[in-house]
Amino acid sequence: MDRKDKIIVENLNLFYGETQALKNIALTVPEKAVTALIGPSGCGKSTFLRCINRMNDFIASCRITGKILIDENDIYSPETDPIELRRKVGMVFQRPNPFPMSIYDNVAYGPRLHGVKDKGKLDEIVEKSLKGSALWDEVKDKLHKPATALSGGQQQRLCIARAIAVEPEVILMDEPTSALDPMATARVEELVRMLSSSYTVVIVTHNMQQAARVSDITVFFLMGEMIEYGPTQQIFTSPKDRRTEDYITGRFG
Amino acid sequence: MTNHLTGRKALDKELSTLYNKLMKLGALAEDAINKAIWALKKGDTNLAEEVMQGDDKLDEITQSINEQALEIIARFQPVAMDLRMIASILHMSVDLERIGDLGVSIAKIAKVLSREKLIKPLIDIPRMGEKIREMVDLALKAFVDKNPDEAKKICSMDDEIDDLDKQIFRELVVLMMENPRNIEQAMQLILVSRALERAGDHVTNLCEHTVYMCTGKFIRASSYRRRLERTEESGKRD
Repeated sequence: MDRKDKIIVENLNLFYGETQALKNIALTVPEKAVTALIGPSGCGKSTFLRCINRMNDFIASCRITGKILIDENDIYSPETDPIELRRKVGMVFQRPNPFPMSIYDNVAYGPRLHGVKDKGKLDEIVEKSLKGSALWDEVKDKLHKPATALSGGQQQRLCIARAIAVEPEVILMDEPTSALDPMATARVEELVRMLSSSYTVVIVTHNMQQAARVSDITVFFLMGEMIEYGPTQQIFTSPKDRRTEDYITGRFG
Repeated sequence: MTNHLTGRKALDKELSTLYNKLMKLGALAEDAINKAIWALKKGDTNLAEEVMQGDDKLDEITQSINEQALEIIARFQPVAMDLRMIASILHMSVDLERIGDLGVSIAKIAKVLSREKLIKPLIDIPRMGEKIREMVDLALKAFVDKNPDEAKKICSMDDEIDDLDKQIFRELVVLMMENPRNIEQAMQLILVSRALERAGDHVTNLCEHTVYMCTGKFIRASSYRRRLERTEESGKRD
């Protein structure tokens, strides 16, 4: 795969107080591809994901050493504005969390926050984002109905629309389908594949088959360490490390 | 399918059943070749008949391996070594089933030839048959032991089979030139030799699949064999 490296992680260590949650993580995330992070609960994969848009800043006891470069800029350098960083690096969570407002306002929220006031421009962004998250056809006639009236799967796609409305470059997804039924899961997975043609996607998943289905690169974490990194096809047919083999074949975890 | 077990244990149980079926198939394929050669040597029609009847059992096991493998894939979505093992077993079952078929071909010839006096004592053909039996045995052992190095070694044993095949061919051609009445039987024996040569090729396939299962890499058996002496062959024509 000859893609540019969008994110470069160097010697990343993360401590919660005295406990070290990430140990010397070094990896690269290719641009416009899906990178999946897998590993048993507590292995640090979500913690790592949250480092990429500095969500861990909100945890007082959290201390980070090492570097994360996005487009060659160190995101932990004092010059980096975390608000701007989070615009560039969007996030979708485990459970759909639409704001208690209309579908339209959910999607327009970010752009308004970033100063877009023009109604025509907002309409355009909302339509484009909802199309981008494959939700437009289902909601175009009820844009001003409450978002909470949508089904779980639709709500999750709305959250994806909300994330892409501010035109991010990277989208982080933390188990985005764990609260969805199989049909809704399939639609979101399809969407993830679609998004990867325009965005760099990093996805944490507990569902190994999901990683196998949607990702180009798979990274296996275990107890805060990165054990193996490779093309998804290779990780799922011939993993190099015994621990990866044991995990993906269900021998532990 | 077991219903009361789930996850890894259930998968292990399925894999071990699948594995045992392959071993059973291997034993039957070996047996088919062995008995067919014996029937040929002794002119034993009953034994030849037994090999022909026995082929249904091989087909049945192959079919059952195929069905079970697909069911495991559908139900467990196996990955890594599990997946490679299932893929290898699927391929290997086809090769073993073909070896069994070749045994049947030989048995049919044995039946025809049982009515005649042999034009020569059979020495090299039984030797070839014995070699094939040994190779199948070792190939299955390499699979059981998950030993790719051993599997590669077995590929080179196929050279001996090819040598015997050529030698038998030359010998029979001479017999045909000596007396046209030998032609029919000599042709049949050439077919036997060719069947054994092809069985040898299937054994090298078994080894390739074992190497894939163990290492995740595809190899070609030919790269572990003696290089073809093309110059010598073409030189002979002049």
